[in-house]
Amino acid sequence: MTEKKHTICVLVANQFGVLARVSGMFSARGYNISSLCVGETDDPTVSRMTVIVRGDDQVLAQIIQQLNKLVDVIQVEDLTARSYVERELIMIRVAATGSVRSEVLGVVEIFRGKIVDLDARCITVEVTGAQEKIQAFLEMMRGYGILEMVRTGEIAMTRAANNASGNGH
Amino acid sequence: MVGLKAIKSSAHGQIMSGAEMTLQVLAEEGVDTIFGYSGGAILPTYDAVFQYNNQHPDKQINLVVPANEQGAGFMAAGYARASGKVGVALVTSGPGATNTVTPVRDCMADSVPIVVICGQVARSAIGTDAFQEAPVYSIMSSCAKHVFLVKDPKQLAATVRTAFQIARSGRPGPVVIDVPKDVQNWEGAYDSESVLQLHGYQDRTNSASKRKMPEKKKDAFFKLLEQAKKPLLYVGGGVVIADAADALQRFMKQYQLPAVTTLMGIGAVDTTDELCLNMLGMHGAAHANYAVDDCDFLLALGARFDDRVAGIPHKFAANAVIAQIDIDAAEIGKVKPVDWSFVGDLKTALNELMDHGKDFKLDRSSWISHLQKLKKEHAFNFNRESDILQPQEVLEALNAITKGKAIISTGVGQHQMFAAQYFDFKKTRSFLTSGSMGTMGFGLPAAIGAQAANPDALVIDVDGDGSIRMNIGEMETCTTYDIPVKILLLNNHGDGMVVQWQSLYFDNRFSGTDKTLHSKDFVKAAEADGFKFARRVSKGDNLQEVLEAFVNFEGPAFLEVLVDKNSFVFPMVGPGMAYKDMMTGPYIKSRDSGPTEGTLETSDSF
Repeated sequence: MTEKKHTICVLVANQFGVLARVSGMFSARGYNISSLCVGETDDPTVSRMTVIVRGDDQVLAQIIQQLNKLVDVIQVEDLTARSYVERELIMIRVAATGSVRSEVLGVVEIFRGKIVDLDARCITVEVTGAQEKIQAFLEMMRGYGILEMVRTGEIAMTRAANNASGNGH
Repeated sequence: MVGLKAIKSSAHGQIMSGAEMTLQVLAEEGVDTIFGYSGGAILPTYDAVFQYNNQHPDKQINLVVPANEQGAGFMAAGYARASGKVGVALVTSGPGATNTVTPVRDCMADSVPIVVICGQVARSAIGTDAFQEAPVYSIMSSCAKHVFLVKDPKQLAATVRTAFQIARSGRPGPVVIDVPKDVQNWEGAYDSESVLQLHGYQDRTNSASKRKMPEKKKDAFFKLLEQAKKPLLYVGGGVVIADAADALQRFMKQYQLPAVTTLMGIGAVDTTDELCLNMLGMHGAAHANYAVDDCDFLLALGARFDDRVAGIPHKFAANAVIAQIDIDAAEIGKVKPVDWSFVGDLKTALNELMDHGKDFKLDRSSWISHLQKLKKEHAFNFNRESDILQPQEVLEALNAITKGKAIISTGVGQHQMFAAQYFDFKKTRSFLTSGSMGTMGFGLPAAIGAQAANPDALVIDVDGDGSIRMNIGEMETCTTYDIPVKILLLNNHGDGMVVQWQSLYFDNRFSGTDKTLHSKDFVKAAEADGFKFARRVSKGDNLQEVLEAFVNFEGPAFLEVLVDKNSFVFPMVGPGMAYKDMMTGPYIKSRDSGPTEGTLETSDSF
């Protein structure tokens, strides 16, 4: 079976220690997490996690079943087979002086990025998008010399068309 | 997060401390015995035990204090395994709590419902590296079914109540409650109705345990069964846990289905029944393993194809259509793909299938007679001509006395496997052993817990000299509380199972496992702990007579038997071996021409 990227959405009780339990399940069973994002939902007792993992079908089936066994887990869904929107936010600081500066600004413009900080030597840019876009932007920036970088990890949501029974989280 | 439960007790609304509330919930849950060890951070709750018993002379909650908190955990586990009720351990913070990690993990691995209540330092001191502080929540998170740290005292009673629900529901397991000392001392009005709302978990376990099998699924099952010429049941510990043993026996009778059992499934099927083919797996009966090789339909019931059974999954029951019923969806197809499966309660599922297939008849008499022949030709056997006592002959002799009616607990190693092979079991919950974790030292405290749950039963701990040392402090616990456990120590002066592997795979280099030079006198140790029956036998003594006296002794009894250290456990499906290659050893007939001695290369499998 072939490995592929899966985007899993997990609703959990917004409580002490829940993140440790979820990440502990992954480490105890030897599954690698590519990225994990957590945040409160509109219901303050519930948090939503977006977990990105790689694995074959059997590994994914196990991950979902094992998550379902955790007492604090409310709902688990693998979005991969469905139509969904994913976004990641990246902030990058690149060295940009003189003529390079306008070149960088041009690239940022194309990627619909935003300048969030600026001084005489460097520019800090914020870009939001799906994986491929973030990756492409990163490649472009590499040439200018990345001074610092931070990524949020992906968050994801199914499209409204196949989410008619959505629960609001 | 607090919801309502239907039962209302007379204590509802009374002002009491958190510690008293804990006791109140335990009493309402029907707890009659607590296993535990006191200490600074749990003092208020221990005081509440004392006070509760003072106020309720006719409804005592017995307190059994072990030598070490690990003992308390395994006593609670033995109590739970033997009774089906939730076992309770009550320990202090820090070392008290960490000493229970091993039994908690053991209970998780074998799906045993216990609740461990740990004291914790006061809320204001948490995270300051206070005296006897340990991060119990994070330590236990990795090995318990669930952990609570009670930060809001108003939720204490609901939390304790919910812990019992979680421990016993779905696939059972251990639940740990970490209770800060100031939460125990807090006072408030007792709420006898509240439970915590665990939306996802409760929905999932309720839907699994109440799930009805769809008609189409039942039809499909009987279609597969009808096509099967050589059907076999593969019975695991899930049948014991689900109290489905009676339903299973009717199921077997109705369709004339033979069964093999796992180590954990022992007792689910009467071993003296002709349809019972005994234990399968690494040290299973040769006839059980051959039956798996020969079958064309295998129905796994509460069994999980673990590495001691299906070391090489694709070679396990390679010719069979596989069907599986389990309460845990994660076990379906985890190791081996299945052709038919159902997630739900085993007892309900078997009853539903029997209702559906009332008129279904299956005559597989030629298959049954084939199995009977295998059973006769490849039965367990050992060196019956030796000058040294063989561990198997001791257990065979003891079995002739107990006749399948005793509760047997074991340590881990060769003696454990011999006990699984040579004892008969007539009823469920009568074989208590650390199956998945393989924890040496399990046997004695588990026997104490089992005896507490069944005061009139004959409870025997079959132990090894390595295993008993692990929790030997609990010998004294037997005499202190006059718990009439019988301890049978098969002393082969070493860690026999490891010795066996070193002999087979490490060219007889017995690194760290030879105890022939150890000087412990176990009989004197038993006497020092107050045993009135403490004896030793070796070849030449009248074994049968001594065993009779041992079993019939009123009160705790200790018997050491000096046995052959070169007696190995056979059959053995070594690492990397398929069943057909199993080593049957010198005294059991092998069916195929595969190796009978261990000649394989050292393997990473173990």
